Amino acid sequence: MPEQKQITFTLNDRKVTTPAGTLVIEAAKRQGIEVPSFCYYPGLSLQAACRMCLVEVEKAPKLQTACTLVAVEGMVVKTDTAQVHKARKDMIEFLLSNHPLDCPVCDKGGECELQDMTFRYGLDHSRFTEEKLHYPEEQWSPLVYYDAPRCILCFRCVRVCDEGMDVKALGVGARGVHSVILPNEKGALACEECGMCIDICPVGALTSGTYRYQTRPWEMTYVPEPCTHCSNGCKTTLSVRTNEIMRANNRDHSGINDEFLCGKGRFGYDFTHNPERVRQPLVRRNGKLEPASWEDALEEVSRRFKQVRDTHGPAAIGVIGSNHTTNEENYLLNRFARATLGTGNIDHHRTADYTGLAAALGPRAKDSLATMADVYASNATLLIANDVTQQNPLVAWQIRTAIRHRKAWLYVINGRPSKIHRKALHLAEVARGVEPQAVRWLASGEGDFDDNTRAALSALKAGLEKESDVVIVFGADISGAALRDLVSFGSKLPGHTRFMALGDYANSRGAADMGVLPDRLPGYAPLADATERARFSKLWGSEIPSAPGMTAREMMEAAAAGKLKALYVVGANPLKTFGVAQPDRLAGLELLVVQDMFLTETALRADVVLPAASTYEKDGTLTNTAGEVQMTHRSIDPQGPRSDFDLIRILSHQLGMLGVGAPIRLRTPEAAFDEIRQNVHGYDLPVAGLLAGGAELSTATCQAVEPSYETPGGVVFSSNDFLFSSGTLGRYCSKLKSTNEAKDTPWSSSPSIQSWWSR
Amino acid sequence: MQLPPLLDAKFTELLGRYPVKRSALIPMMLYAQDQFGFLSDELLEDIAKRVGLNLIEVTETLAYYSMLRRKPEGRYHIQVCTNISCMLRGGNELFQHVQKRLGIGNKEVSPNGTFSLEEVECIGACTGAPAIQVNYDYHENLDPSKIDTIFEQLEQGKRPKPVSVISGAIHERHPAEVPVISRRFGIPDSNKVDVYLQHDGYQALDKALKQMTPDQITDEVKKSNLRGRGGAGFPAGMKWSFVPKETGGKPKYIIANGDESEPGTSKDRPLMEMDPHQLIEGMVITGRAVGAERGYIYIRGEYRYIIDIVEAAIVEAYAKGYLGKNIVGSGFNFDLVAHTGAGAYECGEESALMESLEGKRGYPRIRPPFPAVVGLYGCPTVINNVETLSSVPAVILRGGEWYAGLGTPKNGGTRLYAVSGHVNRPGIYELPMGFNMKRMIEEVAGGVPGGKKIKAVVPGGSSCPLLTGDEIDIAMDFDSVAKAGSMLGSGGTVVLDEDTCMVDFARRIMHFYAHESCGWCIPCREGTAWLRQLLDRFHDGGGRASDIPLIDELSKNMLGRTFCPLGDAAAMPTISIVKKWRNEFEDHLRGDCPYKPADVIAEVR
Repeated sequence: MPEQKQITFTLNDRKVTTPAGTLVIEAAKRQGIEVPSFCYYPGLSLQAACRMCLVEVEKAPKLQTACTLVAVEGMVVKTDTAQVHKARKDMIEFLLSNHPLDCPVCDKGGECELQDMTFRYGLDHSRFTEEKLHYPEEQWSPLVYYDAPRCILCFRCVRVCDEGMDVKALGVGARGVHSVILPNEKGALACEECGMCIDICPVGALTSGTYRYQTRPWEMTYVPEPCTHCSNGCKTTLSVRTNEIMRANNRDHSGINDEFLCGKGRFGYDFTHNPERVRQPLVRRNGKLEPASWEDALEEVSRRFKQVRDTHGPAAIGVIGSNHTTNEENYLLNRFARATLGTGNIDHHRTADYTGLAAALGPRAKDSLATMADVYASNATLLIANDVTQQNPLVAWQIRTAIRHRKAWLYVINGRPSKIHRKALHLAEVARGVEPQAVRWLASGEGDFDDNTRAALSALKAGLEKESDVVIVFGADISGAALRDLVSFGSKLPGHTRFMALGDYANSRGAADMGVLPDRLPGYAPLADATERARFSKLWGSEIPSAPGMTAREMMEAAAAGKLKALYVVGANPLKTFGVAQPDRLAGLELLVVQDMFLTETALRADVVLPAASTYEKDGTLTNTAGEVQMTHRSIDPQGPRSDFDLIRILSHQLGMLGVGAPIRLRTPEAAFDEIRQNVHGYDLPVAGLLAGGAELSTATCQAVEPSYETPGGVVFSSNDFLFSSGTLGRYCSKLKSTNEAKDTPWSSSPSIQSWWSR
Repeated sequence: MQLPPLLDAKFTELLGRYPVKRSALIPMMLYAQDQFGFLSDELLEDIAKRVGLNLIEVTETLAYYSMLRRKPEGRYHIQVCTNISCMLRGGNELFQHVQKRLGIGNKEVSPNGTFSLEEVECIGACTGAPAIQVNYDYHENLDPSKIDTIFEQLEQGKRPKPVSVISGAIHERHPAEVPVISRRFGIPDSNKVDVYLQHDGYQALDKALKQMTPDQITDEVKKSNLRGRGGAGFPAGMKWSFVPKETGGKPKYIIANGDESEPGTSKDRPLMEMDPHQLIEGMVITGRAVGAERGYIYIRGEYRYIIDIVEAAIVEAYAKGYLGKNIVGSGFNFDLVAHTGAGAYECGEESALMESLEGKRGYPRIRPPFPAVVGLYGCPTVINNVETLSSVPAVILRGGEWYAGLGTPKNGGTRLYAVSGHVNRPGIYELPMGFNMKRMIEEVAGGVPGGKKIKAVVPGGSSCPLLTGDEIDIAMDFDSVAKAGSMLGSGGTVVLDEDTCMVDFARRIMHFYAHESCGWCIPCREGTAWLRQLLDRFHDGGGRASDIPLIDELSKNMLGRTFCPLGDAAAMPTISIVKKWRNEFEDHLRGDCPYKPADVIAEVR
C-alpha cells in the first residue's frame, strides 16, 4: 500500500500528525483527548446531530462538530475552552429537558453514556420546569423494548440496523421534539432479532426483554466467552449475578467480532437454567431412567464398558463426540476412545469438510486459511453454498462491512436463498445441490449448465480472476471431490487466495482438529501413518488400534445391525442428526451412555445419562470455523452437572482400576491444552494472547498435501440451523425461541421468512 | 390493491418522472391521500411495493410531513392559519370562531365527518391575512361573517369560490414600484404561454441559447448583482460558478425552491400563480449556464393548485419547444418537473429539500460538500429560490448592468416585498433593492391602521431579528439591514403596531419553529420545544423574573450550534424581542398579558 499522506494540525496547543482525511474527533481520541459525542459512532455514517462534539476552530465563526471536521494541514483546534465547555453543558441541559431522569429504575443506570456525560460535562441542576413529554414504553418483540422518553435520538440503532445489519427494521417517526424510533412492522419488529440496537443504544431507550428490570450493572461480574452456538466464535460478555447469567452482550468490542453479535450470542444463554436441564445422573432401571448418585452412575458405566469390551472386543464399542465441547474434551475423548477403550470407532457429526481442506492444502494452510479479520480485509469474497446471513452471521457481517467500509466485492454461487445475495457483485444462482458442479466447472470447465447459469458463472470467474486477493467461504456441500476442485480453482487465481470452511457449531472445527475422526489422529495426523500412531501411542501410554474405525453414520447402522454393542455419546444427538427416527435402531446395543445437558432423543434411549456442563460452565478452548482458538471460562457453576473433561477423566480412572487402559493423568483443561500445544500440529499457540482474552489462529493441517484424499460422501452435512435454532441447545433457549421469527420454520422451507428477509 | 384507474395512471406517471423511483413517494402519498382522504395501511403497502421500499421506509417519510395522515379527516378539512401575519389580523379570533361554529376543537373531526379542523402554520397567504384553506382552496381576508358564509355554502355541498391569486399581488402600482418580475401580474391569463410570449416571453431564453456562451450567461448574472431571494442573499452568479464543468458523466440539476414557508413570506406564490413561464425560462437559462439538462420545481404541498398551474405551463413550454430537446434550435436540451412537498418548513432548507425530493424525511445534510458539487442524487446541483430564478430572464434580456443599476451597490435589481400585518394595504410590492423600509410601510403599504405607531417590524420573514419602529429608516438591501442588526431575509415584511404584545409574538414564533423543527439535532429539537412551553407559561401569567434571562440564554444556546439554520431562525427573533422589549416581559410578571388587544377582539367578533 502506498504511504498515506500525513498532515499536521494543532490540537489544544499540541502539534498532532495524523493521516490525511482523519476526523478531528478520531485524531483527538488517539491523543487521549475526549471529545464527547452520542451520535458519532465509528464505522457508521456521520450525523452531526447531537452537537456534543462542538470544538473551536481558529478562524471559524462558529463552533464546529469534530465528528464531521476533517483535520487539515495547519488547522488549529481547541477542545478545552470555556466556550466549548459551555456548549457541552448547554447540550446536556437541552438533552435532559425532556429526559425522564428515571435512572434509579433504568436498566442503563450505571453504564449509561448520558449519565457519564452529565456527570462529566453537565449542570448540577436543572432549569427546566415545564411538563416533560411522555410516551408509554413499547414492546417491539419479546426481546426488544423501547422507551421513547429516554431516547436521545442519536440514530445509532437506526444506522446499525440499516447500514450494519442490512435489515432496516428501524426508522424515525414524527418530527421535532416528538420524534421517536419506529419498528418496521406496524409497531412491532420483524427482523433478525440481533439486538445490536440494544447494545449500541447509549441510554436506556432500547432495552432487552431478557434483562430489563432484573438487576443493576454493578451487582454483576463480567465474563468474556466465545459464544457457544454457531461456528463463528464471536465473543459475548456474560453478565453474571449469584451464579446466574443475567444477560449476554457485546459492549467491549474486544473480540474477533468487534461490535457484532447476533441474537444467539445475545439472547441464547438461558439454556443454562432451563428447567429441563439434566442435573443428576440417570440410570436405566427396570426400563426406566432413574436418578442415581454420581458414584453409582459412573461405576455402572465403567463396569459395563469393560463387560462389552471383554465380551465383544474393543471394536464393538463406538464413541461419538461433540462439535460444541472444548478442544481439551475432544482431545481427551479421542485419547479415551483409542487409548483407554482401544477402539478406532470415533467420529462426530461433521458440518464442514475440515479434513478435506487440510488434506488439499497441506503445509500451504499456513497462509491459505482465512480468519474472520481476513474476510473483512480482503478485497473480494467468494461465497459458495451457504446462507451466511442465517448460518454464519459473523461471516456475513464481515462481508457486509467490507463492502460498506472498503468497497470490497462479493461473489456468490448458491443453491439457497440468502439475504446477502443483494450485496453481490456477481451472483450465480443454481439449483440446490448443484454448487459442487458449478465449482467443478470453475476448476475444470467441465459440466453442463443452461445459458444463464453459464453466463453468470463466466462473469463471476472473470471477475475473480481480476481480484488481487480472494477469500473463499463455503458450506458443507463443498466437501470431498468438490472441495478438491475448489482448492484447485482457488490456487489458480492470480491473487492471494484464502479459504474458510463454514461449519455449524461452536467447536465443529475443534472436534476435527482434535482428531475426533475415524481415520485421523489429532492435528489431522493420518491414522495410517505408523510414525504418528507410534507418537500418540507413546504419549497416551497405550497402543492405538491401526485400523480405521467406523464413521458416525456407520456406527449408527452397526448399532442397528447389532454389530456395535456399546456406544458412548458425548454432547451429540445422533438419533436426530442421522435421521434415525425409529427407536429400535439402537436395539442392538448393550450399552448406550450419553453425556449431555438435556434429555435428547438419544439420551432418552440411554442406559446411563451423565449430566454435562455447558461451555459457559467450564474452562477450556474452542476453535472457530476459521481456526481461531479462544478460551472459555467457568462463568457460573453448573450446579449438578460436571464438565465432559471431568467425566471422561473419571471414567478413564475407573476403567484403569478395572484394568482397562491407562488412567488419564491430565488434571485440568490447562494441562490438557499444554499437551495439545506440544503434540498437535498447528496448535503450538502462544498462551499469553489467549489468557488476555484474544484469539490465536491455529493451523491444524496435514503435513503434506494428500492429493488422493477424499472425505467420503454423506459424512459431511449441515444441520441447516438458522438464526433462531442451534442444534440441541437452541431447543432450550426459551428467549430466542419466543420470537415470532423463531416460530417460523427455517428459511429453507418457509416462504414467510423470505418475505420479511427480502425487501 | 385495486386503485382507481386515474390514480393508477398517475402513479405510473410519477414513477417515470424521476431517475430514482423513491422520488415519487411523497407525491404518490399526497395524491393518494387526496383520493382516499387518508393513507390506509393497505394503501401504504401498495405504494411501498410500487416504489420498491420497505414499509418502514415509507412510514418514516410519511411520519415526517404534516400534511400526510393515516386517519381520515373531514370532507372539508378547515386549516386556519394563526401564524404571525394572520395572528396580527385576527387569526386567533377567527380560529376561536371556527371552533365555536363547527363545534369541534383543533385536530378534531365533526361527528358526521363533514368538517375537520386544524390550526396550521403559515400557509403563504400573509398579504391576505387572516386566511384559511378548505382542503386546498385558499380563502383570504376573512372575518367571522365571511367565514360563516363559507361554511354555509359547504354545508349545502357547494364549493365556495377560493381566491384565484393571492390577495395583495394585483393592485394599483405605487409610483415607487419598479415592476420587473411582477410586470405581468394582473394581465389576464398571464400564466398562459401565449400571453407570456406577447410580453417579452422567452426572448431571454432565445438570446441566452443563441447568442451567449454558458460562461457569458453566468458572467451576466454575476454582473447583475442578483442575490439569492430565499433569504440568505448569496450572489447567484457566484453560486452557479461553483458547479464543476466536468462531472465524469454525472448529470447536473437545477432546482427552484418553491417551498415558501417562512412566516410572513408570500412572494413566490404570485410568481408561480401568475408567471410560471418566467420561472421556467429562468430555469432553462440557468441550466444552460451550468450545463444542467434537468430541473425540478419543488413547491410546498399546500400550494396544490399552483402545482397544477406550473404543470400546465410546463406542458405548454414543451409544446412550444422551450423545454425538451433542442430548445429553440440551439441543440440544448432541458427537462423540467414540478414536484410537491407535503408540509414541512424545513424542506425550504436547500439540502433538506433535496432529501425530500429524493423521497426521504426532510433532514438537512452535512455540508460540505455543498449542493453545487454534491446535490440532488449526489450530483452537482444549482438550487435557487423561485424569485431568484424568475429574475434571470430580465437580467439576460436587459443586461446585468441594467439590472444591477436598479438597486444599490452589491444588491442588484428589484425585490418583491410582501408587506403584511398592521398596514392599511397589505400587498406584494416590487421595489428596487435599497428602498427605504419606513417609506415602504408608510407610503407604499399605506401606513398603520388607525394612525397607530409602529412598535416593531419583521424585516424579512419570522426568522429575522425584529426592528423597533425607530430602527426602520433604513435601506432595504441585504447589507443595510444587516448593518441595522437584522436581515433582509425573504422580504416578507411584517408590521406590528403599538398595541401588539411582543411576548405573545415571541410565543407564536416559537410555536412555529418548535412545530417545524425536524428533530435531527438536540439544541433545536429540545430548545424550541422548551422555549415554546416556557413562553406559553410566561405569556399566560405563570412567568418568573428568572425566566426572562433564561429565554434569552436558551435562545443563545441554540444560536450557531444547531445542525442547520432553523435553530438560528428560532433564536434570532427571540433574542431581539427579549433585548428590545424586555419591559413587556417584565409587565407580564404582574399577571395576565397587559397587551390584550381588547378592541381588536371586539372588532372581529
